[in-house]
Amino acid sequence: MAAAGAGGAGGGGSRSHSFKVVLLGEGCVGKTSLVLRYCENKFNDKHITTLQASFLTKKLNIGGRRVNLAIWDTAGQERFHALGPIYYRDSNGAILVYDITDEDSFQKVKNWVKELKKMLGDNICLCIVGNKIDLEKERNVSVEDAERYAESVRAKHYHTSAKLNKGIEELFLDLCKRMMEFAQDNGTSQAQPSRRGVQIADDEPPAATAAGGGCCSSG
Amino acid sequence: MMPVEVQKMLRLAEQCLERVKSFAGKMLEQPPAMPTQTILSTSSSTTATPHGTSTVSLEPPTRHRRVLSEGGRNASPFLPPEIFQKLQTAESEETKKELTPIEEASRLNQKLKANFEVRLARLPPGQATQKTSLTLSLQRQMMENLIIAKARQDALQRKMEERRLRLQEEANRRFAASGTVTPEEQELRIMYASILEYEQDHDWPKLWKARLKKNPNDISQVSGLVSSLLSHPEHPVVKLLKKLQYRIYDRLYPLVSCCPSHGFPHLSTSLSPYHDHNANREEGPLSGTPTLDTEDSFEDLEQFINLFDMSPRSNPRLEMESYILDLEDCALKEHLSGIVKDIHNAIDQLSSLCLLSFECLNTAVAKDQCVASLEEAFFPPLWSPLLALFRKVHRGRELSFETSVKLFRNATPSELGVASKLFPKETPVHRGYPYESAVVELRLICKELCPQRKLDCIVRTLRLICACAEEYSSLQEPDAPPRTAAIGADDLLPILSYVALHTEQPQLVSECAALEEFIHEGYLIGEEGYCLTSLQSALTYVESLHSGGVLQQQSATFT
Repeated sequence: MAAAGAGGAGGGGSRSHSFKVVLLGEGCVGKTSLVLRYCENKFNDKHITTLQASFLTKKLNIGGRRVNLAIWDTAGQERFHALGPIYYRDSNGAILVYDITDEDSFQKVKNWVKELKKMLGDNICLCIVGNKIDLEKERNVSVEDAERYAESVRAKHYHTSAKLNKGIEELFLDLCKRMMEFAQDNGTSQAQPSRRGVQIADDEPPAATAAGGGCCSSG
Repeated sequence: MMPVEVQKMLRLAEQCLERVKSFAGKMLEQPPAMPTQTILSTSSSTTATPHGTSTVSLEPPTRHRRVLSEGGRNASPFLPPEIFQKLQTAESEETKKELTPIEEASRLNQKLKANFEVRLARLPPGQATQKTSLTLSLQRQMMENLIIAKARQDALQRKMEERRLRLQEEANRRFAASGTVTPEEQELRIMYASILEYEQDHDWPKLWKARLKKNPNDISQVSGLVSSLLSHPEHPVVKLLKKLQYRIYDRLYPLVSCCPSHGFPHLSTSLSPYHDHNANREEGPLSGTPTLDTEDSFEDLEQFINLFDMSPRSNPRLEMESYILDLEDCALKEHLSGIVKDIHNAIDQLSSLCLLSFECLNTAVAKDQCVASLEEAFFPPLWSPLLALFRKVHRGRELSFETSVKLFRNATPSELGVASKLFPKETPVHRGYPYESAVVELRLICKELCPQRKLDCIVRTLRLICACAEEYSSLQEPDAPPRTAAIGADDLLPILSYVALHTEQPQLVSECAALEEFIHEGYLIGEEGYCLTSLQSALTYVESLHSGGVLQQQSATFT
């Protein structure tokens, strides 16, 4: 198709992925330190944007594929919960953090899972993360409970310690791989967001990933 | 005694002279600078030129003047679409047009006639034969000029038509592979042909193409190219831009220029039995059908009657009014989403045409830059009526915001939930209030007229917030390592709410709603998207403040 050739598929050559990951968790579960750890870790240069810890980006190379990760922190306070959905939409992954010494924070995670499922169905990779395993002695959420719950909602469970820098790298790497698999299975990731300016014959795929986009725009 | 022929000749000459005289008299009444196409001739040969129709007729052209104000019933802040269009063309008419052969001939004839008048004036009185021969030779010359011009024009037109067809074929070949042709594609083909035609007449596109070929990775070249393109009003892309802008303005104008209360006058006057003074007054709401002459209100009427069937008599007046308001709201929302779609389509069309004319723009980065530059030209004249419509649709939210501002104008950061280490305990008077720089920056958003610039403004606001927060916390805990000062969303949102509240600008609500529609997908998951989302959250929170707990209730149902 000559017309589309002129409009062209951007990127060309090696396809890269762009993923959006939302970070959810109550105020003091340590989600901010978790992402800060992750983003300052691997390379020496700071990947912290001028928005500090609320919005972070990271470039990865997984199996020869370039992955751009955009990590969206959300406010944990109750009074901002009602505003959550506009943060979640179009997310490829969600990291739900609780504090293993705080049973209440685990209950909150369950609420968010419900909310996410309601909005995005199964089109999002969920990670449930028990943070602060350096405080194992004060644990209030049992490992079995947490893992059983995670399995019941088709999420993966991880243990981390931002303080000791444990489990964080694995968590993100694993999540990225899952999102890539998911994107390939569904053939729809945000890898190449089809710009409006381009007129490609096969229009927007009837994908569910963007389901949140249009319907709640006027609200 | 003169022979009959001579007498006849003289009479004819006299008639000719009379005509010329009366004609010259009319000429004088008109302002001298006006070019007239009027020529002594009975053949009213109308010739379509590429620039329009030039009519050759005996009468001086009647210049009809457009009435500028239409009725002038409601003072509207917006210009009527006709004026909008005039302004558009006024901008572009600075460039000189080339004259068509007929126009040239008409100029020449005017000169001839002027000469003729001078000579006529010099003639000593009583030399009638001299006069006649002069008049006749003038007529002959003018006629010849016209005939030659017409022939030239026809030839030129034939040539142009041939060229157009050839270019159209070339354009069609380019699109050939794409099977069925939609109307849009057809339009694009025609546009492309007109671009080819334009490029045969102008050199600058070639120069730019060469320049871009030399530095394919220089993005600044792309914006240079697009702005140079936009400075050529005769280029098909610019013509299309103007056309699309006008089309959208024309759609927006009736929606935003009328008074804000009722969008359905026929409903509020003739449907409501309480306002209806001419019919069915005593019969009550359930009986007769009020007479309606507007065709589209029939469905409304049906719904209206259904509504009464469903909820009989529970304060029908209030229900009706709220129902009418609902209808208005729905209609406005529909209009809005239609217009938003039109704008997206317009920008699509423009950028595809741009890419067609400059294939060198066909890389992801260059394309983005190209769209950005196009939007920068497209949006400014439309933004204020567009925003006016958004504000109408989001009026309720803006009112909530306003109420909150009135109630919480003097709230301290801690009252809005900002952590105490993130604002100074006592601000010295000369330094203003906390986060003032961010408030000042955010207010600037209303001054920008293009979505991308507005988004940049929001990003700058959030960055300023982060910088301020860092400064404040380092003042209080000078020993803490800088990294721990980095704030996450838990801290950011309360501060942003505080900042948004202090701008005291309810229209932020509508601005953000509009930005949400026009932000590029590419930016949606990036920093711009995050900042916009955060600001929207903060605004929603501020809106909920005055009712003291709408959000708490909502979150209670959510938990």
